[in-house]
Order: sequence, then C-alpha cells, then structure tokens
Amino acid sequence: MVNDKIDIRNLNVWFRDNHVLKDVSFKIRENAVTAIMGPSGCGKTTLIRAINRMNDLIYGCRTSGDVYIDGHNIYDGNINVYELRRKVGMVFQKPNPFPKSIYENVAFGPRIHKVASGRELDEIVERSLREAALWDEVKDRLHDNAFNLSGGQQQRLCIARALAVKPEIILMDEPCSALDPAATAKIEALIRRLSKKYTVIVVTHNLQQAARISDFTAFLYMGKLIEYGDTKSVFENPHSELTEKYITGKFG
Amino acid sequence: MSGQTGERVIFAILGVPMLICMLIFSWILSLLLTGIGSVRWELLTVSALQGGMFEMIVGTIYLLLGATAIAGPVGILAAIYLVEYAPSRGLTRIIDQAINNLAGVPSIVIGLFGYTFFCRHLRLGVSLTAGWLTLALMMLPIIIRGSEEALRMVPASFKEAALALGATRWKAISSTTLPAAAPGVVTSVILGIARVAGETAAILFTSCVLITRGLPRSPLEPVMALSYNLFVKIVALGTPAQKVFGVALVLFMIVTSLSLSAILLRIHYRKGQPWLMIR
Repeated sequence: MVNDKIDIRNLNVWFRDNHVLKDVSFKIRENAVTAIMGPSGCGKTTLIRAINRMNDLIYGCRTSGDVYIDGHNIYDGNINVYELRRKVGMVFQKPNPFPKSIYENVAFGPRIHKVASGRELDEIVERSLREAALWDEVKDRLHDNAFNLSGGQQQRLCIARALAVKPEIILMDEPCSALDPAATAKIEALIRRLSKKYTVIVVTHNLQQAARISDFTAFLYMGKLIEYGDTKSVFENPHSELTEKYITGKFG
Repeated sequence: MSGQTGERVIFAILGVPMLICMLIFSWILSLLLTGIGSVRWELLTVSALQGGMFEMIVGTIYLLLGATAIAGPVGILAAIYLVEYAPSRGLTRIIDQAINNLAGVPSIVIGLFGYTFFCRHLRLGVSLTAGWLTLALMMLPIIIRGSEEALRMVPASFKEAALALGATRWKAISSTTLPAAAPGVVTSVILGIARVAGETAAILFTSCVLITRGLPRSPLEPVMALSYNLFVKIVALGTPAQKVFGVALVLFMIVTSLSLSAILLRIHYRKGQPWLMIR
C-alpha cells in the first residue's frame, strides 16, 4: 500500500518583496526518501521549512497555499504548530547539538513534551541513538559533552535527537554538506534505513547523492517546481530541458 | 634598517603610556599598602555613633542589594525582549540608542532626577527606596547592554534546533539561549553593581544622611553610606583626608572585590562552553 503523506498545493512564499516559492504543488510519498535538488537560492530550504512552518519565524515571511499532512492542512488557523513540529522533525545543514551532554541532547525533545522520564526516558534515548546508528560509539560516554563528538557523529546525534520525539516525517537540509565523505556515506546509509519507518525529505545540491539515496526527486529552479517524479525517471529521461541541463552539469 | 627604527618608535609610542599607567597604579598600590597598617579594622563592626563604620558598610550593601534586585530582573527581561521578541529592528535600534544615551547621563543628573521624581513627586522622601530606584536607573543601561550582547553571542542554531523539536519560543529561549548566555548576563549584572557601588551623586539627595541611629528600620527611612560619608566629611566638614582613609579603603575594597568576582565568575562559566572560545 503506497500512500501520499504530504500534499503541497499552490504553495507560495515571500520574504518581504522577494517571491521565493512560486506556486509549488506536488505530493510526497509516505515511507520513502524524496530528494529536493536545485541550484543555490532556488528555494529548496524554504520549501522544506514550509512543511514544519519554520518559515513563520522569519521576520517578513508570508505564505499562501496549502500543505496537507495526512489530510490536515497545516496552515489552518487551528493547527497546533508545536505539535506539528514534533511530528515533523528537522535536521540542519550544520550539525547543531546543544551545549549539553549526549544524553541530554536526545532527551531534550521528550522532556519538553513531557512524554517520558526516568527509565522510560533512558529507553527512548537508547532507542533513538540506536536508530541513528550512534549507540555503539557513544554508549560508554552518554554524559560527555556533545561538542566532543566528530562532525559526523554530531550530525547523527542531531538525527537521534529528532527521532526521540517519534516524528513521522524527517526533513533534512543538506545534512552532509559539512561532512567528509566517510561520514557522508554513513548518513546516507542511515537515511535509506530510516525511510522504512519515516517519510524522509532531503534537500541536496549534490546530484549523485540525490540519485543514490532517493526514491523520488523534485527539481526546483528559481522558486518553481520544474520536475518531479521517481528518481530513476527524473535522472534517466527528464521531461524538462532545464532538468536535463542541470543533471548533465550544464549549469548550477 | 629604517624599518627597524620605525618599529622602535612605534614600540616607544605604545609603551610609554603603558609605563605611565603602571607608575600611577603602583603609586596607588603603595599608598594602599602603607595605609592598610594604619586602619583600625575593629571599626568595621562599631556603630557610627561611636566613631565606627558599621552602619555605613551595611547601608552601602543595602543600597546595592536593593538596586540590584530591581535593576537585575528588569534589565535582563528587557534584554531578552529586545533580542528575542522585539518586533522590528528599527524600533530596537532606537531603544538601544536611548539606552546608550542613558548610560552616558552624569550621575549627578540622575541623582537630581531621582530627587525630583522619586523623593518629591512620588513622595518617597529621602529614603532607601528612592536610593534603590535611582541607583537602579544607573545600573539598567549596563545590564541591558551587557545582557543583550551575551544573548546575541549565542548561536541561533541552538534555538532553532529546539524550535524544530516543537518547543515554544519561550521554552526554546529559556532552555537553550539563556543557559548559554548566563555567564555574560551574570557578568553584566556584576558590572552594573560595580558601576554604582562607589556612587555618591545618585544617592546624595535621594537616600543618604550623615548619621542615623542604627540601621534603617524600613525602606522608607534614610540610610548611611561609605561614599556619602566620605563626601560630606571632606567637602562639608573639612575633615583631613587621612582621617577618612579607612572609609575610602573599605569602599575601594568593596568595589574592587565586586569587579574581581565578575571576572572570576566569567572565567568559571566559560569552562565547558567551547563556542565562546570559537568566537
């Protein structure tokens, strides 16, 4: 059974006078990896930040159109945006652990949502770290400062931190751009594994990465959705000339 | 060869002022060291009615504690508002500029304002409370600016991560930004205290008297203070300077130890906060 998890309809985003996303509409498949690619400044990050409404926090940002998650419009007035962000986790471009211990980083989400404490919280921390393929590396030093981890480990910690609040969707904003190839490979393998359970959306400007890890690919250019489809067909026979130029490296 | 000469000239230009500072400082230090021996320390706990300093020291501490209790929370909350909540950058800039100007107002002017507004208009009279409010006015700009700076130093990525996990704005700020900014905020409060610890003009008309019968029994009573005592004894009563040296020394030690504790606290807090080193 394949389902669409997210349905984006006529999404427009402005930052003051700057029209960043123009009439973007597409559906994102549940339990799959969807890559969003495009040249710098094309609106990739703005697009995923529209899915957990992080754009709302930017001064001068205006959004029109609808985003449905499981049939609920998240831009409805009565939506609880904190609950939305619990359901839609996010991993940032640069690893950004809190200046706390490894344990406290993962426990942060469950703590603020008051879903667990004590033994139960320990279990959530362990499960999340295992899911993020970090447990074996840190199990003996859970109370060390997270800043002592390597960049790749920090990024996996950030993934574990996002997983700890049991999200359904995980947004990743160029999660490997600050990492070396070995750490990148680990994160990519992790993304593949996570997609069995979660709906993963990965922003990348690395074409090979999009081809390697995603089931579906969207190509954005200057705020417009140029092409969207399963990754194989987007890369092998794109409909749009623009997409073809981009994936053959003629621009971008 | 000429490059080397130029280097020597620059070195001299930079070095001489430094040398002058060192000379002045060591002169003050030697003065202090010779003076310390002649101070009668038992006077610290003797009532002013018997020629001691007890009420002055406690009065000074009362004034500082009260002013801090007012200016600390108000200043920190204002800084949080300005950095995290203020709607428009333009407005914040105007307020920041006003705060800068407030910091530059001479203390005698603030004292005069305190007298007309707190003592007369609000009918607080010459009292501890009027002194607290006046001193708090002087501390506020320092605390607000220092706390603002400390809050702005914290990488926005911490707050963003918390928000993305579903934290409310206040939760994100209070659990990530504030703890990270705490050292700077605490330092700013202590610098604020140090700024007014030796203050005379601001409490001159608002809260001090030369002598009281014991400690003030309510916040509406006037109080004795070391700085005020020095001022009146020398200016009005013409007491020879060496007679009030003990009072000056005690005041000096209180102010210095406050500044020192600010530095120690900052060093202590900076440990284990590596992003402060990166910046």
